[in-house]
Amino acid sequence: MHFLSSLEHSAFGTWVREAPTIWAYATILFLHTIGLGFVVGVNVAIDLRILGVARQMPLAPMRKLFPWMWAGFIVNALSGVALLIADATTKLANPVFLVKMTFIALGVVNMGWSKRKLFDDPQTLEQYPPTSHAKRVAIVSLVLWIGATTAGRLMGYLGPVSGLESLD
Amino acid sequence: MSPTGFLHTGGLLQAYAAWINTTWLHFFAVNYKWVWATMETLHFLGLGLMVGTIGVLDLRLLGCARGLPIASVQKLVPWGIGAFVLNTLTGIVFLAGAPYQYVYNFAFQMKVLFMLAAGVNVLIFYTGTWARTQTIGANQTAPWAARIAGAVSLFLWIGVMYWGRMLTFFRPPFVVPPK
Repeated sequence: MHFLSSLEHSAFGTWVREAPTIWAYATILFLHTIGLGFVVGVNVAIDLRILGVARQMPLAPMRKLFPWMWAGFIVNALSGVALLIADATTKLANPVFLVKMTFIALGVVNMGWSKRKLFDDPQTLEQYPPTSHAKRVAIVSLVLWIGATTAGRLMGYLGPVSGLESLD
Repeated sequence: MSPTGFLHTGGLLQAYAAWINTTWLHFFAVNYKWVWATMETLHFLGLGLMVGTIGVLDLRLLGCARGLPIASVQKLVPWGIGAFVLNTLTGIVFLAGAPYQYVYNFAFQMKVLFMLAAGVNVLIFYTGTWARTQTIGANQTAPWAARIAGAVSLFLWIGVMYWGRMLTFFRPPFVVPPK
C-alpha cells in the first residue's frame, strides 16, 4: 500500500488528478473513451460480420482495420496507466478493476492471436455459415469486450470508489 | 463561458426542467441505485457500436480499408442507427434524472449542437453524393464530397464523445450531482 500511495501522490499522479486544466484528467478520460470506441467498436463490427451481419461485405479486407483496433488499445493502455496512477490505492483495491483487466487481457489475446489467425485463411473465413471455430472466436470476443466495457463503467459504482459513495 | 452555458435560467426551459423533475421517469432514474449504472453501461456499449459501424463507414469513405465495397459497409449502418437509438433512450433517462445538470451545461449544449450538425451531414450525404458513392468499386476512392462527409462525420461524432466526457467538468455550480 505504501508503494501505491507514493505512486498516487507522485508529481505525475497529482498532476493527472488535480491540475486545474482541461488538459489533465478531463482530456485523458476523453482519450480513454475514444480508444474504447475503436478497440471495442471495430472488434464488435468484425464479430458481427463473422456471425452473418452485413454479409455482402467481404471479411478479408477488414484485416486492414486491425491497426485501428491496436491504436485504440495503445491509447487506452497509456491513458489507463495515467488514470490508474492518479487513483492507485482505490482502483487496485477494487475487485471490479481486476475483472476488467482480466477481460481486456483475454480480449487482446483473442484479437491479436485467435482472430488475427482467422484472417490468415481468408477463403475459409469468407464461408457462410462460418466455421464453428470462427463463430466461437467471434462470440468470445463479443462477450469479452462487452464485459470489459461493463466492468469499466461499474468501477465507478461498485467496490471502493474515490470521492463518491459506493452503491453496494 | 457563463455558468449556465448559452442559456439563461428562467422561462420555458426552466419550467420544462422543473416539470421533468415531477415525472415518473425522473423518479425511476434517481430512486433505484442500479438504474444510473446500467444506463451508463448501455450508453458506452452503444458508443462502441457506433464507432464500429458509422466510424468504419467514415474510415472507408476516407480511403482506409480499401477492398471493402462501400455499398456493403453501408449494411453496418442499421446497427449504428440501433446504437444511436439506444444512446438517445439512455440519454433521455439521464436528462430526466438530472435536468438542471444538462440543460444549463455548456458541454451538453455543445453535444446537442454537434449531434444536430451530424444529422445535417447525414442528410446532405444521403441525398447528394451517396447515389454515386455506393456504385464505386471495392478498391476505388470515394468522390470528394463523400470523403468530406466522412471526415465531417468522424469529427462531429468524436466531438459528441468529447462533449459527453466534458459534462462533469462543466457541471453548473448550482447542480447537486446525481447519487
